[in-house]
Amino acid sequence: MISESVSRRRVLFAVAAAPLAVACTTEPPAPPPPDPLSALAAQARADAALAQTLTAVPAAAEIAKARETHARLLQAEVDRERPPLSSTAPPAPTAPPTPPDPLAALRTALDDAVRDASAVVAKLPAYRAGLVGSVAAGCASLREVLA
Amino acid sequence: MSVDAVQTALGTEHAALWTYGMVSAFLGNQAAAVAEGANAHRARRDATERWLRDKSATPNPPAAAYLPPAPVSDGPSALAALVAVEQDTCAAWRGVLERTDDAALRTTALEALTTAAVRATRWRKAAGTTPASITLPGVASG
Repeated sequence: MISESVSRRRVLFAVAAAPLAVACTTEPPAPPPPDPLSALAAQARADAALAQTLTAVPAAAEIAKARETHARLLQAEVDRERPPLSSTAPPAPTAPPTPPDPLAALRTALDDAVRDASAVVAKLPAYRAGLVGSVAAGCASLREVLA
Repeated sequence: MSVDAVQTALGTEHAALWTYGMVSAFLGNQAAAVAEGANAHRARRDATERWLRDKSATPNPPAAAYLPPAPVSDGPSALAALVAVEQDTCAAWRGVLERTDDAALRTTALEALTTAAVRATRWRKAAGTTPASITLPGVASG
């Protein structure tokens, strides 16, 4: 009887200690994957910067303003979900080299923006899907202005 | 929950179809674009009614008539009515996006939101509205 109770205690101890040992030896959890909205916000900032270089195109100012609004709203949602550790603003986009055909580059950028935002919508929680859906539709609207 | 949002979207599709029919008399010079918009809304209405029936819901019927935000009596007011009804459509489909986790319905809602935003932009361009683009289609202030 005694030996049986000791062995049961040992068994219970071993069972209780096993996860502890695992917890002490496993790697710390990987950092969470980057927020998909963060990439969309960066894309919006880059598009706004590109549009600002196209002073000759009348619609460029409108596009720059709209993409700045998209960037602000997307970044606000990213920061709301995962408050940044420091209060530093995201790095300003480095001035891109002016492409040989800026208007064509802007059209391509807006096509990419529609496609990327649309691809993200399917995987988002519902409360974020509306915002990103409106951003995708807004980029399609901007693309129509350039059509 | 998503059924209610889809019924709302169906209501805006009914209204859009009615509006396209009503304005066609004033936009003879843009008959092709008007027909294209009407066909898109008709197809969307039919698909939406099918979706609701598949969910054992009864699709809401169209109203006898719809009231545009401003009386339609000429080309510019006809364009304004089209812009308004397309923006209403955007808002309704964005509402669906926010209320479903169903991937197929999300895809449909996004496509409906995007195509309505493009048509609204096209009509705003035709009307000479600046800016022609809509920054956030489906948002009241957009």
